[in-house]
Amino acid sequence: MAKKILIIEDDKFLRELIGQKLLKEGYDIVEAVDGEKGIKSIKDEKPDLVLLDLILPGMDGFEVLTKIKEDAGIAQIPVIILSNLGQKDDIEKGLKMGAVDYLIKAHFTPGEIIDKIKVVLE
Amino acid sequence: MFWKKNNNNNLFLGSDLTIANYLSDGLLVFDKNNKLVLVNLQTEEFFQTRKEKILGKSILELNRFSNFGPLVSLLTGRTKEFFRRELQVEEDFILEVTSTSMIINGERSGTLVILHNVSREKIVEKMKSEFVTLAAHQLRTPTSAVKWSLQMLLDGDLGELTKEQKKILEKIYKTNDKVIRLVGDLLNLAQIEEGKFLSKVILSDIEDIIQLIINANRKTIEEKKLNFEFKKPEDKLPKVMLDVEKMKIAIENIFDNALRYAFSGDKVSISLKYNKKEIEIKIQDTGMGIPQNQQTKVFTKFFRGTNIMKVDTEGTGLGLYIAKNIIEAHGGRIWFESEKDKGSIFYFTVPVKESFAEFITGGFY
Repeated sequence: MAKKILIIEDDKFLRELIGQKLLKEGYDIVEAVDGEKGIKSIKDEKPDLVLLDLILPGMDGFEVLTKIKEDAGIAQIPVIILSNLGQKDDIEKGLKMGAVDYLIKAHFTPGEIIDKIKVVLE
Repeated sequence: MFWKKNNNNNLFLGSDLTIANYLSDGLLVFDKNNKLVLVNLQTEEFFQTRKEKILGKSILELNRFSNFGPLVSLLTGRTKEFFRRELQVEEDFILEVTSTSMIINGERSGTLVILHNVSREKIVEKMKSEFVTLAAHQLRTPTSAVKWSLQMLLDGDLGELTKEQKKILEKIYKTNDKVIRLVGDLLNLAQIEEGKFLSKVILSDIEDIIQLIINANRKTIEEKKLNFEFKKPEDKLPKVMLDVEKMKIAIENIFDNALRYAFSGDKVSISLKYNKKEIEIKIQDTGMGIPQNQQTKVFTKFFRGTNIMKVDTEGTGLGLYIAKNIIEAHGGRIWFESEKDKGSIFYFTVPVKESFAEFITGGFY
């Protein structure tokens, strides 16, 4: 069965681009436009992996990550942060909070992001 | 006393104090025993106190008035005859403090302290850098989106491309990468100007940092067939207090120029020297060099040599400005020697400090 990836990203175009790439690679995708909807989707859909943006309207990505890790039912789902924030502090914070990887949007191409996802899912 | 001659009559204009009271700057005068002998109205206003309470007190006694705390530590901490510093009294209340010794007949008669309110300028400056930070952050999402979509087109995800289409798209991709770099530089710049530039200062090995930067640039060195050498000293260098992330940006910026403005087959080298007080880093290339008449502007914002602008359109002109600020924030110095068509040598130093406390008192001001 195809692995399911949840994309939590508020920018429509970025969401579409990465979604399209994932579909092409044979993944199933679920999309969420903000933190609250993201949390709900994780619980309802039980994805195999979450791609998480940090700057989101309302609940931000760090809060989403905290909520995921607090909930034993979903805490084991791997989360890859995909963000514009490139400061060392943010990266350390994200990884410390339990993200399996931290990718800075402007430094990675969709192909490289897929490669990272593959590594985590294997 | 101030008098003015007018039709043979002497007109009284006012006493020293009257004039002092009408100044928009705060004024404090200490005698040679460091007792406060004069304050003006503006000073009373700045520190929310009455002159009756503070006149005749010594600098140290003023410390008991909580409002004066920061000013007292500033004044007692400095021994120079003249100095000027900014002092944050409260959030959004910043004074520029000028202290100067008054000399009469070659003898120190006291100290004059002038307080100039620069809060408004500081607030405007802060707003400006906040705006730049916000604007730069806002640019990150669209530039990433452009990068991603171009990459997908180039990867052939949306159908095969002709050679010409591919060539143009590659140019757009490069141009967009330049914008991404520029946005990054603008964010660094805004941070420098907000003055919060060094964040995590720890004892670090500068040789390791340089090695990492070299490793990351191996590909460019090979592609350009550069003759590269890293000359390390025989003895292990002492560790130095660094904000590793920031220092990396500074060294990368200087090294990147050396690689970028060297021609195929040129020599590029990095060498390290230690002389008890500081480590000196030397980055040399035999590339394009900087024309003599532009050398004074090298460390200014947005500077680019006219000779390099013709062959390289990617630089932002912020790299060396940022590098200089980072190095100076660490208490170091940066300078260079350069000749057009012969190459450049950039030098910078990092002071060797025993402890963090020494770093704070020695480096930041």
